[in-house]
Amino acid sequence: MSLKVLNPNAEVLNKSHALHMNINAAKGLQDVLKTNLGPKGTIKMLVGGAGDIKLTKDGNTLLKEMQIQSPTAIMIARTAVAQDDTSGDGTTSTVIFIGELMKQSERYIDEGMHPRVLVDGFEIAKRATLQFLEKFKTPVVMGDDPDKEILKMVARTALRTKLYEALADQLTDIVVNSVLCIRKSEEPIDLFMVEIMHMRHKFDVDTRLVEGLVLDHGSRHPDMKRRAENCYILTCNVSLEYEKSEINAGFFYSNAEQREAMVAAERRSVDERVQKIIDLKNKVCAGNDNNFVIINQKGIDPPSLDLLARAGIIALRRAKRRNMERLVLACGGEAVNSVDDLTPECLGWAGLVYEHVLGEEKYTFVENVKNPHSCTILIKGPNDHTIAQIKDAVRDGLRAVKNTIEDEAVVLGAGAFEVAARQYLVNEVKKTVQGRAQLGVEAFADALLAVPKILAENSGLDTQDVIIELTGEHDKGNVVGLNLHTGEPIDPQMEGIFDNYSVKRQIINSGPVIASQLLLVDEVIRAGRNMRKPN
Amino acid sequence: MAGSIPGFGFKKDPEAYSAKARSYCGGFSMLPYGIQSMLKEGHRHLSGLDEAVLKNIDACNQLSTITRTSLGPNGMNKMVINHLDKLFVTNDAATIVNELEVQHPAAKILVLAGKAQQEEIGDGANLTVSFAGELLQNAEELIRMGLHPSEIIIGYTKAINKTVEILEELVEEGSENMNVRNKDEVISRMRSSIASKQFGQEDKLCPLVAEACIQVCPKNPANFNVDNVRVAKLLGGGLHDSIVVRGMVLKTDAVGTIKRVEKAKVAVFAGGVDTTATETKGTVLIHNAEQLENYAKTEEAKVEELIKAVADSGAKVIVSGSAVGEMALHFCERYKLMVLKISSKFELRRFCRTTGAVGLLKLSQPDPDDLGYVDSVSVEELGGARVTIVKNEQGGNSVSTVVLRGSTDSILDDLERAVDDGVNSYKAMCRDSRIVPGAAATEIELARRLKEFSFKETGLDQYAIAKFAESFEMIPKTLAENAGLNAIEIISSLYAEHASGNTKVGIDLEEGVCKDISTVNIWDLYITKFFALKYAADAACTVLRVDQIIMAKPAGGPKRDPPAGMDED
Repeated sequence: MSLKVLNPNAEVLNKSHALHMNINAAKGLQDVLKTNLGPKGTIKMLVGGAGDIKLTKDGNTLLKEMQIQSPTAIMIARTAVAQDDTSGDGTTSTVIFIGELMKQSERYIDEGMHPRVLVDGFEIAKRATLQFLEKFKTPVVMGDDPDKEILKMVARTALRTKLYEALADQLTDIVVNSVLCIRKSEEPIDLFMVEIMHMRHKFDVDTRLVEGLVLDHGSRHPDMKRRAENCYILTCNVSLEYEKSEINAGFFYSNAEQREAMVAAERRSVDERVQKIIDLKNKVCAGNDNNFVIINQKGIDPPSLDLLARAGIIALRRAKRRNMERLVLACGGEAVNSVDDLTPECLGWAGLVYEHVLGEEKYTFVENVKNPHSCTILIKGPNDHTIAQIKDAVRDGLRAVKNTIEDEAVVLGAGAFEVAARQYLVNEVKKTVQGRAQLGVEAFADALLAVPKILAENSGLDTQDVIIELTGEHDKGNVVGLNLHTGEPIDPQMEGIFDNYSVKRQIINSGPVIASQLLLVDEVIRAGRNMRKPN
Repeated sequence: MAGSIPGFGFKKDPEAYSAKARSYCGGFSMLPYGIQSMLKEGHRHLSGLDEAVLKNIDACNQLSTITRTSLGPNGMNKMVINHLDKLFVTNDAATIVNELEVQHPAAKILVLAGKAQQEEIGDGANLTVSFAGELLQNAEELIRMGLHPSEIIIGYTKAINKTVEILEELVEEGSENMNVRNKDEVISRMRSSIASKQFGQEDKLCPLVAEACIQVCPKNPANFNVDNVRVAKLLGGGLHDSIVVRGMVLKTDAVGTIKRVEKAKVAVFAGGVDTTATETKGTVLIHNAEQLENYAKTEEAKVEELIKAVADSGAKVIVSGSAVGEMALHFCERYKLMVLKISSKFELRRFCRTTGAVGLLKLSQPDPDDLGYVDSVSVEELGGARVTIVKNEQGGNSVSTVVLRGSTDSILDDLERAVDDGVNSYKAMCRDSRIVPGAAATEIELARRLKEFSFKETGLDQYAIAKFAESFEMIPKTLAENAGLNAIEIISSLYAEHASGNTKVGIDLEEGVCKDISTVNIWDLYITKFFALKYAADAACTVLRVDQIIMAKPAGGPKRDPPAGMDED
């Protein structure tokens, strides 16, 4: 072969072998992920190199942690992960869709069809499906006061595919409320304003939404209060510890008195800063029982802590940077970088600040804040893998709600869209296409059915029965989805099963692109150093 | 069903395909399809019922068989040698599973459940692990019968919810109100927890622990802090020499020559008792000999001034959080001040709590408010070690210490674990003082009622619920077996008694008969049971939910030496 002449060590696969390798890899990946799809999907246990356990149903997590090596599979996995990055969900569906496209194509290719023709058909079908999606979607008016019910339905649909039902339903409210909490009209939603904290404690159903903030550290002085009500919150980024001068300085003294004076002088500048804060506290707290809390991004050294404790101030040091931003959003006030011009206007307000100790870890809760624009989802669970599982699910749930608000549309779920789109392609689009590209459209249409098929399969239903029943109903003009418990067709709108519009669009967009690329490969060449293990 | 077990469908294909592929193009070894080929080398992938679910159950069973024999008062001790060659002789399940370093991922879930129980309540870890193991073993039977794991999960979830309901009904009436300062009430609740660790010694140990806990119980019992009950282990003597000290026992000697002070005020300096130093490096500037002499004098004068100030404030004891300077010590002796050094920050904080002192950062004259008070501080020699006993009998003291005596280190360690469990159950009863009958009476009642409940259920869940109920039998069975009794006989007579309405009948292990446990006073805490059962059911369901395991290549850590001194058999 020509390549062998150029590089005798290179390996090459050509023509149908290359194609089959790609098809097989896509099918293999599909096989791995398909048991995860839908609310009835099973859980996979991932064991890391250090023996750490991760339980997941989330396709994205799985693809990230699995350390895939096959080049084709990596390519598909990357697309799926990109899917997650842009729309937050639908990883499993993407992989399944690509796998199914390849599977369908295999049949035609084995019959002697040229991949190029199929790819042309895919392109036509893709455009038609996207147009159909525009017609099919259910518009939702968001405005200033979004319809909470719709958001809940979307969140529930997303969460139920990641967690078991009872927990998913509980998280639904939490997720929707937290997004609505941080939402500001006219501004894009910044999901980073929802802090996700976890505590290894109690049960997973004890997960809750804290309207305020939870910080994963506590005050550092034994005499500070553990619980305070009606608090002024000073958010600051001021160093309250002695810092060595940048230049190499030294002291010269000739008796102990002088040295004492120097020790005092060293402290003076820090003490002055602390004093300014104490003055402010005395000013705002004079004549009432209110408390004063400092949350500082920089350090506070023990002598300063001591001074603050004596003044009855609760001080937290070394807060995370992102929390400084959130604190201001949650409590109001502003973050100050200098104590020189402190005014009462800089202060935020929280109804309750308290510390919770769990073994060695300390948590500080800042709660009962006035109209917060930042909140915390506090995840609880008895062990790390439960917490990690909930964390991934919450992330996806948040994205689903955000997408809905931004899309101002939802798509009927439970396989309804896929079946409807397939019928549309077969019954209408196919007839308008000239020549062999028709077959490409057909392959595409059949591939769409993969999602309802696998949903049925995972629920232990008969795939063929289900599909026939669903397509039958669609032909009659009823838009129906699949009831996973009974296998009967249902109206997803009545059941409140809605998927994200942007997720679906992304799947339809990216799936065929990758499938086409893989189909058009006719040679796989491996060359270069390190390509083979020394043996 | 074949569809849900992906490992099966294509198992044959890859072989066939790879053979073909190899013959065509030789060398592309990653060609065959299937998940194995897509993963990095060293990965393992287990899937399906046989490979994953049943194997997992098997592993969990192995673990629970180990812990099971340690359940209850007559449980056997285990000798565990951990990777540091440290020997543990204990029947505390939390310690056993912790030191076992379980590798199997599914068994690890059980271990985690046990740990969660230990962290949440501090007792009942054995119940959690053993019960979860039993649940899984029964699940295996169900799977062999043909049930799908998801149906078992549904059944188990229903069963645990029902169990919690029944458990609430079994709570002894009137037990929700309890005086946590009444020693007898505390002992009756603590007894079974300590007896399961140190059977036969609970009558000696319980009063000690109860006394220590009651002493430090704050006004609002819910704020009881486990950290305030300290344990000091001193080698020598026996358990009957153990005492409770209102205050602290420090395992160090006093720094100076004054070894005993009574009714004294205490000043605590966290920053050390020494000359002060600047943060920036200082240099003493000296031009001639006279200045040198003067400098030393000024230093001395300064330190003396400070120490004198402390002495003038009325303090007789100085406690330093870090170094004690030679010069400072000299002046302390001169002013008849006792000097203690406590280098641990936490220990120092506890000392502050004991004495009511406020820790000062710098050596200076303390405010009268900052001084603490002790009834006595004395250095004593116990079992060949010098310890400083700090006593404070008055109110405001929030630390007490149980001084344990025993002949070997491992006995002391085991005693300490029993005390820890006792203290933790005190904490649990401060939160929720409700009790349920102990000695397996609750378990049998739960089993009986749950079985009745299962008959009313329609559908496949009823099998799972019935099995869940059956799992409870494991506890009386194990208790009886560990005590050398005939388990089957005991269980059947328990069932008979319960069916006739005596819901408080449990096993009296000493006499080997079934008895109404209210006559022998064996009670378990409701909250311990509640969490243990919940965590166990949770863990069992988690293990059942997994149908695929993907394992990465174990990371290569430093090689450990093979354990020495273990015989082959």
